[in-house]
Amino acid sequence: MTVVRRLFVEMLREEWRMHSHLFGGLRFAAFPIFIALVGGATAWALTETGTDVSTIVAGVHVLVLFFGLQTGTVGLLGRDVMQNLLGDVSLLVFSGHTLPISQRGLLGVFLVKDALYYSLLFLLPITLALAPALALPALPLLWSTLVLTFVLGATVTLTVVAILTRGVNRLAVVLGGVGLLALVWYARAAIVPFTPLGLYEQPTIVRAVVVVATIAVLGVVGVAGYDPEYAKPSRTAENAYARWRDRVPGGDPLVAKTLLDVSRSSGGFGKVAVSAGVLLAVSVFLVDLVADITRIEPRPGIAFGCILALTAFTTYNWLTQYDDVSFYQRYPIPVSRVFDAKGVAFAIVGFPVSIAFYVAAAWWQGAGLLDAVAGLALLVGLQPYLFGLTVALAGLDPNEFLFDTTRFALYTLGIALVLVPVLIAAIAIPVVEPVHAAGFVGVGAVAAVVGVVLYRRSIPGWTERVRNG
Amino acid sequence: MTAIETSSLKRTYGDVTALADLSLTVDEGELFGLLGPNGAGKTTTIEILTGQLRPDSGTARVLGVDPVAEPVEVRRRIGILPEQESPPSFLTAREYFDFVGDVRDLDDAVVEDRVADWADRLSYENKLDTLCADLSRGQQQKVMVTQAFLHRPDLVFIDEPLVNLDPIVQERLKRFLETYPEDGNTIVLSTHDIDVAEELCTRVGVLVDGELVAERRPAELSPDESLLDVFLADVGSTAADLNPSQHATADPSGGE
Repeated sequence: MTVVRRLFVEMLREEWRMHSHLFGGLRFAAFPIFIALVGGATAWALTETGTDVSTIVAGVHVLVLFFGLQTGTVGLLGRDVMQNLLGDVSLLVFSGHTLPISQRGLLGVFLVKDALYYSLLFLLPITLALAPALALPALPLLWSTLVLTFVLGATVTLTVVAILTRGVNRLAVVLGGVGLLALVWYARAAIVPFTPLGLYEQPTIVRAVVVVATIAVLGVVGVAGYDPEYAKPSRTAENAYARWRDRVPGGDPLVAKTLLDVSRSSGGFGKVAVSAGVLLAVSVFLVDLVADITRIEPRPGIAFGCILALTAFTTYNWLTQYDDVSFYQRYPIPVSRVFDAKGVAFAIVGFPVSIAFYVAAAWWQGAGLLDAVAGLALLVGLQPYLFGLTVALAGLDPNEFLFDTTRFALYTLGIALVLVPVLIAAIAIPVVEPVHAAGFVGVGAVAAVVGVVLYRRSIPGWTERVRNG
Repeated sequence: MTAIETSSLKRTYGDVTALADLSLTVDEGELFGLLGPNGAGKTTTIEILTGQLRPDSGTARVLGVDPVAEPVEVRRRIGILPEQESPPSFLTAREYFDFVGDVRDLDDAVVEDRVADWADRLSYENKLDTLCADLSRGQQQKVMVTQAFLHRPDLVFIDEPLVNLDPIVQERLKRFLETYPEDGNTIVLSTHDIDVAEELCTRVGVLVDGELVAERRPAELSPDESLLDVFLADVGSTAADLNPSQHATADPSGGE
């Protein structure tokens, strides 16, 4: 028991040190405050515009479920994935071969640690953010059900990973997951009451027992089923590098490598499309929400063009996920050329995917011609802007800056400065006239230019940073 | 001709001094060994000389080029084998070499020939089409060694090149390293393996606390002298430091 307790404490310390090292000590410490402030402002804005508190609470539970699903995944997937993301990093959870504790035991402690760590640093601020909208006695219950939601997500991930370590075909797991999701959606009226959200809405003993038992079963199955000795079969491939190089502009080897990395990593190019699909679903929800609140249908072309431009962040994240600038420093490659290659890869992957989703959304929502043209111009203009903004603030590590309070706040501000006025215009303009369309095309063009300027001006700074170590 | 020349190189990381005052000269055709205890500044030295890191002060010339002012030109002319670095996970070994060939402006046919040569020398012909992520540590090291020499550079920086390699491959690589400088090429070998340094290097430099405290030619050591003795004397240790029982006596807890 003493060993487990000590391990738990050291894992907590390790998590804190990893985050504070990555995101700069005090700035990371301020992140919970930032969450509370932004969450509070969002909740206030939503309630002021007529959104029901129960809708907000349900939305928060859904977000936390996704958070739980992805948090810890990196830790569970292994050292190599960690290395790709964070460099030469090793965690206690990978110490099964050197510590007198089983890998399953380490995994169990790791999960409990994650639950406590994120419950305090992230879920508590989110709960406090909703304090103005809820009665005080509801807050402990909300925090508890958010913690349960987070743990539910994490245990689902663990169970999936455990199944994969048993050699079950990935496609079968994906299809099974999709089938399960469809079943949950079909039977949601019967299932939701027995989820943490249902427990929040109506806290009964039966619901509590079902929720806790579900999590316990998933946790036990996940930990017991996880095969620590599992090694993926060695993969071979025909030489695809030359093919990629011959297809990309200028035959740039860095662009070819970037695209090959994305295509060979889990999910291939499909993950770029899935990210865009998730954003499309969110944008449909938001557009409907705005329509419900204001009783005015926003212009779908402008609204979707604007929101789908946010795929710039997820696409750039995928393109920078699998290498590190230090790798290129072994070769006669200037830092600026690495960024340029990521930019070209971004144009090759990001534009077609986002435009395809935009065209589908605009057609589905019945956008008029001028509205569609304006939205397309915004989409095409805002993506370089968001690309430039991301590069300026995060360099080649966009996934890291999400937890850097200052940079994340600047990024949020940079997005809001452009998106909020455009979205308001999308609501305020009843019919898109040629003059409006021309205005939006102009906004898109100016945004693109600003993005290019941000990009160009940030490169010398990143080069200096790399060279100064 | 001088391959490397540094004068009073200094580099700190916050409060930690990695290089205090490094002045060093390496001639063309040398196999120069860089020795030193952990944290002595070997990696920092290599990173500065290869244009990856900027020194706080001091000057350096590598093959006549200033690595601070022209880092890309320096890296064009040299090869680098970093310590324990993995090749790109999602490329096969063959694809990685094609990539390296492209960034170093080598013809595809030249790359193909040289890769075949290296795969034969290091015995990994049957792994060329395996994704690098799925190679063993030893196979990954073979790939990394190959990429460092693929363009037959005038100067190569290699950090622990033999690590994770089996004894047969180690011997083959050692024979290659011995002969590579014969054409006027230069190798800088950073290692903790004193025996390897004594066996291969024409000259060694010992770094301690970021300063070059000694330079020796292994061939000039007397018969009753080993490079290990020299190293211990240079770093201020004695043979007694190698005896764990004496430490146990001095520190019964055995801990720090």
